[in-house]
Amino acid sequence: MKRLGLQSRLLILTLLVLGVSLGLTGAVLDASFRASNLAAAEEQLELLIYSVMGAVEEVDSGLYLPEVATTGGLSQPESGLYAQVQTTDGDVFWRSRSARLSDVTFAPAPGNLIPGDFRFLDGRELEIERFFLSYAVIWENRGEEMELLFRAAADTEPFQSQVREFRRNLWFGLLGVAALVMLVQVIAVRVGLKPVRVMADEVLELEAGKRTALSGDYPHELTGLAENLDRFIEHETASRARHRNALDDLAHSLKTPLAVIRNALRVEKTGNSSVSEMPIDRVLLRDQLDRMESTVAHQLSRAVSSGPVVVGHLTGVRKVAERLGRALRTAYRDKALNVTIVGAQELKFRGDERDLMEILGNLLENAFKYTHSRVQVQVLPAPASHPDASVLVQLDDDGPGIPQEQQQQVLARGGRGDTALQGQGIGLSQVVELVSLYGGELQLGASELGGAQVKVFLPGSE
Amino acid sequence: MRILIVEDEQALREQLTTFLKGEGYVVDEAADGEEALYYGREYQYDAAVIDLGLPKVDGVQVIETLRREERSFPVLILTARSHWQDKVRGLEAGADDYLTKPFHMEELAARINALLRRAAGHASPVLTSGDLQLDSAKKEVRVADELVELTAFEYKVLEYLMINGDRVVSKTELTDHLYDQDFDRDSNVIEVFVGRLRKKVDPDGSRKPIRTVRGQGYRFAGESA
Repeated sequence: MKRLGLQSRLLILTLLVLGVSLGLTGAVLDASFRASNLAAAEEQLELLIYSVMGAVEEVDSGLYLPEVATTGGLSQPESGLYAQVQTTDGDVFWRSRSARLSDVTFAPAPGNLIPGDFRFLDGRELEIERFFLSYAVIWENRGEEMELLFRAAADTEPFQSQVREFRRNLWFGLLGVAALVMLVQVIAVRVGLKPVRVMADEVLELEAGKRTALSGDYPHELTGLAENLDRFIEHETASRARHRNALDDLAHSLKTPLAVIRNALRVEKTGNSSVSEMPIDRVLLRDQLDRMESTVAHQLSRAVSSGPVVVGHLTGVRKVAERLGRALRTAYRDKALNVTIVGAQELKFRGDERDLMEILGNLLENAFKYTHSRVQVQVLPAPASHPDASVLVQLDDDGPGIPQEQQQQVLARGGRGDTALQGQGIGLSQVVELVSLYGGELQLGASELGGAQVKVFLPGSE
Repeated sequence: MRILIVEDEQALREQLTTFLKGEGYVVDEAADGEEALYYGREYQYDAAVIDLGLPKVDGVQVIETLRREERSFPVLILTARSHWQDKVRGLEAGADDYLTKPFHMEELAARINALLRRAAGHASPVLTSGDLQLDSAKKEVRVADELVELTAFEYKVLEYLMINGDRVVSKTELTDHLYDQDFDRDSNVIEVFVGRLRKKVDPDGSRKPIRTVRGQGYRFAGESA
């Protein structure tokens, strides 16, 4: 399944958050509006009851309410406002004109209402589209007390239409806010992710060969990625170049020995057009084959070494040296050598373990092979004179040492390796190649022990 | 001396076999790791030459398995030049020496020779007993500095007995280590060789360097040099 893009992810997330938060906001606002709407209805009914009570006139026969009550609404049919006065027993002795004309039935009166108390009822609970308010009162008329229930009712429709109106406005408003936020978010995401898009475009251009590196103009969160990518590309380019050069050099340096062999085997035409074969010079053939062998080995090792790594990848130098030392001690058991490997375990080489093994393996093998009795390996922090390196491996032995002439021959790197190096030369030239690939340095000299001293400066952990 | 060659590349394997046979060794060949394990378990060898990149079972694994099963004959591994990791793994698995390809056959012979001597506890290629000297590198035998002409088989018998020092070597062991499997195991042949050998290295019968241990075999009765 194709994975969602960054932009889509951010927008979907924003949409979810917006939906939930605006939904909750809307629900809370809606609930509180409905509550205040009910409170307003109750207040209106209370005023209505007071106005009816104010209109009661006491006459000799009892209570009298004028036909047309004071409040306009009560006298008009379909006004939506109604009132009635009744005894607690349910005998209605007055109804407002609006109630009579519209033939409005009141919800059953609430029982056990203490005089002086209001009781509100939302008629919708009883499937009546009205609000009701009842008020119990003890009315004293000419020394006689009677308990009366003043009741008012109002149609719910005007209130409901207010709620509907409010809701419509509320949700339109919230949707507007959501749309605005989404728009801002889209713009923010586009602006925020622009460097990533730029990088993706630049990578495409890299693939197409239109550029050789990233522009490098990125926000700090992406600088590491961009730099690593650039280093990776550089590494790839360098490897390709190394392979190509190795192949070129290989082809070039095999030509000479091949030509010599062909000449040695050529069939010679003699004057009288009879054919006679030249005697085969075995020594010459063998020399040329040796030369070809060393060339192939040299170029192959040059081509296969992985070279500086892109990120991380630290290899403990002393650990590798000790492993090699143990292995070589087995192979050189006969020599009964005094081998010491010292140094800090935490000094690391920034690069591939196999390459470090090739470097140290070849150097240690030479030391074991040529020394008389001692091999000393020291793993040290690189001195300040080599700011690019952080590890120094120093090998000393008490063998014959490396002749000055061969030292220079070995160190003159870039040689094609077809200058048949012998003895320590073959392994060393390979080491020089690898070390320089990592931006390190190899120094050859004379050891205090009396033999050769090899110093390798390598990049490592800071 | 019986040697096991384990190399998957046929041309090289055949060259190694031919060369080592020419050097007077008895040679068995294995083309892959499984075959190598079979031979290593089935026969007693004096040394093995094992290429590390093998089909079926990897060379390092072959060495580890044989060592675990207490096969202690010396092992020489063959690796490509720039493969230090392989060399280290091979030596850690229990190999005794390594040789990087490509190599000269003479180098291989010298390494095998050194391994055989080392396994028998001799540091120098020249084995000496009184005025009898055997140079395992040159394959020469001298008595009182006079070169003694020996046939290849006579030389092999003497070398095997001398390398094994004071130990009694049975006729069967001698046959196993000196001849190919299909050799007719007639112990009279060994007796004939030993008889001729005795005459050549001890013409006047004064020192009797090769003793017969009745019912058991032969023992080299060396005098310390």
